[in-house]
Amino acid sequence: MENAKDITEYKFSDIIASPSIKERFEKVRKYFFLRESTYDMSNRCNLRCEGCYYYAGETEKQFAEENLNPADWQQLMEAEKERGITFVVLAGAEPSYVPELCKTCYDTIPLGCIASNGLMPLAKEIDYRIHISVWGNDKTSLEIRKAKNMLVRQMENYQGDSRAIWVYTFTPVNIDQAREVTETLAANNHQITFNMFSAPTDYNGHLRHTPQTLAHTRAVMSELLAEFPETVVFSPYNIVAHTHEQGLHSLFSCSYPRMNPSTAIGLGRSFRQYRTDLQWDRAAACCVPDTDCDDCRHYAAGSAVVTARMYRHATTPQHFSAWLDYVDTYLAVWVKGYDKGENLCKEMIEPPEQS
Amino acid sequence: MTTDTHQAITRIAEIIINELKLEDVTPETFDADLDLVDEIGIDSMDLATIALVLRDEYGIRIDEDDYPKLTTVRIIAEYITTKLAEKE
Ligand code: SF4
Repeated sequence: MENAKDITEYKFSDIIASPSIKERFEKVRKYFFLRESTYDMSNRCNLRCEGCYYYAGETEKQFAEENLNPADWQQLMEAEKERGITFVVLAGAEPSYVPELCKTCYDTIPLGCIASNGLMPLAKEIDYRIHISVWGNDKTSLEIRKAKNMLVRQMENYQGDSRAIWVYTFTPVNIDQAREVTETLAANNHQITFNMFSAPTDYNGHLRHTPQTLAHTRAVMSELLAEFPETVVFSPYNIVAHTHEQGLHSLFSCSYPRMNPSTAIGLGRSFRQYRTDLQWDRAAACCVPDTDCDDCRHYAAGSAVVTARMYRHATTPQHFSAWLDYVDTYLAVWVKGYDKGENLCKEMIEPPEQS
Repeated sequence: MTTDTHQAITRIAEIIINELKLEDVTPETFDADLDLVDEIGIDSMDLATIALVLRDEYGIRIDEDDYPKLTTVRIIAEYITTKLAEKE
């Protein structure tokens, strides 16, 4: 027999009775209307990064033909809006190859984000958040991405541009270089957030994380968050969720269609991942298709998967604060003009048990 | 319909109206058989918030895996009634 007192120590009303928690909850819940889908804009890229999930796997997204007709894209965006999509993630390969298509998306659905390597600047009139990928210092970028002077070129392209945020992907080989990159971005008034290399399904190379590299990454992320609070957009709970030995699915149950058979509500109902030919496949649909779900710690995945688990975190003020920090972080990362607040939970707490 | 279920329906409707700030509808006029997703436009985050308020009110856990089943106010009321009976 269940007893209510055994189930939860705190009532939700007690948790949000704290003014700081209530204020933050009201701040983030204004964005509960966001419903995302993602779109591969181009199958071309000027880089070939090792472990890139776009060119990995058997779903053959990289072989889908590019539809370059703005009228078709506009029709797609209108249909997306009609079915309730309010936030678009334009990815690729590299979306900056097709700025006119990005503009078409922006004109129809004005909230969104573009994932770019930042080497070809996007016109200001496409007023989405722009996530610029960084995979280490320039020496490592040259080895892994075959591109010279990446950070300097990215910063030149996006100097003074409030759309831009750098996304540093931690791999086992670049953990200590995050400091150098963060210092450089801080000196140039840019912001950075953190991602984890998440291995594609068929990847067995040296970039796959180990328990040791996860622990090392956790330590470096913590130091940088403490030392560069204005530059690093992250929270202690983001660190926990993304550097845990268990991946996101195991910790929080992934709600993307690829792992979630339910079409009743939430991401399982609304999320689609369109390829460049404007087709989508429910069996492959998540924000990082062809990633190994057991190794998935990807920031884009977490932004939806952890966020969806509000109920599970509303058991203690500390867990709910940690969840609010996580959501606040990702709204700041994804939504242009959203300002991150101070983290409410300073400790690294374990995620709650599954309900 | 038992009095308990009727009371639960009215209370759940009230919670949904409050949380979603619905206008032009009262707990008494709320159609308990409306599809919350298709006809009211509720999403998983709204449902999580409602589930937390219901958890406070009735002292029962609403399993996240059960969210997809909770499609109308009447179904939620029946779910709560069953959970409460299991507790006794
Ligand atoms: S790769 Fe990550 S986001 Fe995609 S289905 Fe697997 S766990 Fe979910």
